[in-house]
Amino acid sequence: MPRLEDRVIIVTGGAQGIGRAYCERLAEEGARVVVTDIDGDRAEAVANHLRGLEAEALAVTMDVADQAATERMAAAAIERFGRIDGLVNNAAIFQRPALSRVPFEQIPLDEWDRVMAVNLRGVFLCSRAVIPHMKRQGGGKIVNISSGTVFSGTPWYAHYVTSKAGVIGFTRVLAKELGEHNINVNAIAPGQTQSLDEIDDTRMQAFERVAQVRAIKRVQVPEDLLGVMTFLCSSDSDFMTGQTIVVDGGMVLH
Amino acid sequence: MSRLEGRVIIVTGGGQGIGRAYCQRLAQDGASVVVADIDGAKAESVARELNQLELEALALPTDVADVASTERMAQATIDRFGRIDGLVNNAAMFQRPAVMRAPFEDIPVDEWDRVMAVNVRGVFLCSRAVTPQMKRQGYGKIVNISSGTVYSGTPRFAHYVTSKAGVIGFTRVLAKELGEYNITVNAVAPGLTQSLEDMDEATFQQFEQRSLNRAIKRVQTPQDLVGTISFLCSSDSDFITGQTLVVDGGVALN
Repeated sequence: MPRLEDRVIIVTGGAQGIGRAYCERLAEEGARVVVTDIDGDRAEAVANHLRGLEAEALAVTMDVADQAATERMAAAAIERFGRIDGLVNNAAIFQRPALSRVPFEQIPLDEWDRVMAVNLRGVFLCSRAVIPHMKRQGGGKIVNISSGTVFSGTPWYAHYVTSKAGVIGFTRVLAKELGEHNINVNAIAPGQTQSLDEIDDTRMQAFERVAQVRAIKRVQVPEDLLGVMTFLCSSDSDFMTGQTIVVDGGMVLH
Repeated sequence: MSRLEGRVIIVTGGGQGIGRAYCQRLAQDGASVVVADIDGAKAESVARELNQLELEALALPTDVADVASTERMAQATIDRFGRIDGLVNNAAMFQRPAVMRAPFEDIPVDEWDRVMAVNVRGVFLCSRAVTPQMKRQGYGKIVNISSGTVYSGTPRFAHYVTSKAGVIGFTRVLAKELGEYNITVNAVAPGLTQSLEDMDEATFQQFEQRSLNRAIKRVQTPQDLVGTISFLCSSDSDFITGQTLVVDGGVALN
């Protein structure tokens, strides 16, 4: 029997890269997936693809930094599927050109603010939108995507790393607050991952350099993250909450 | 489909309590289970239980503190099943009267030595016995059982807590050393768990008190741990290594 049979799981930033891989795997495990993305056309394309695999899926256009949009998203999920079992807070700003890699004092203030608005406030808003439904159901699974950069303190990346460290703090508080409702809140901290959409040469060289620092010396791909995602959305992790699982082939040892 | 189909997994201390629950779950997930225990009769009875459910299991009387015994364990596993895919280093001294609860300076030196011999040296010896075979296969899963007490620094328990902290250190080193062979090495740190054999009134009250510190406020049972063990023995965790997963209903937030 599929491990996630009938669970309704929302994936933010689900239209591309790693988020898209999460959607596919969760659907394969039997979940009904709500694909949300700021790019509505791409979200619709992923939902269509999932339906082609005989999975139920719903696409929702959503900016996680917009409170009204997150509430509309939760309402749409309820209207379509009647429940919300899981939320994967995956949407985040992380790539150039949106993010510059510079010493912290050179980060433009509006860029700092934008990163915090999406990577941190977005996690707060989406969680806030779905939790009333999870409480009513008496259970739920929230999985927040943090980053291995929190543990390595990656330089020239202060806004991103700070936002992802905030995600761990929020995960811990939420775990304590929601335990009595049987809602688990955990975080995943991935290593640098080559998502399908990134293929230029300099990037690839950077990926291969990072691979050499790992215990398992190869480039990390989205596939490497799907097993832990399924685990944290399934009943196998029902007594685990407030934890951060590092998935990086053994670089950071947490 | 069974997640652990075709995998041969050794569980030390598998003859009773939590270890027995690990054996049952791993077998249900399709693994051939080697039940290793210092109490050969108990190991035999767990293996028989599994055989009666038409699950593959082999009992091996094993003293993890005895190098020759651990080597026989590995060899007997290979003789019977032809391979070793997983090792769950679960055997440990933890209960009264064998392990006393006392201020550190009142711990008899020979009791300290005995705890280290089983809880730390035993993990070293069992890992040492199985890794040559895992290296030959180019794949393996080692799961070490640490303890939540490492994070809380539980007083009057210095030998046990120190031994379980040692397990985390060993896990990290082994992960780095064995990554190139695709052998993952991770630890699980459970909270205080009521195993079936713990029944007395005072202990039960202690369990209930402990529950109140959790995000999920109930007594922890072996069933709460089996999902994580299965996950760490499966291909779903193939890019996770050197990590410690706390499973305690949300007390220690790691």
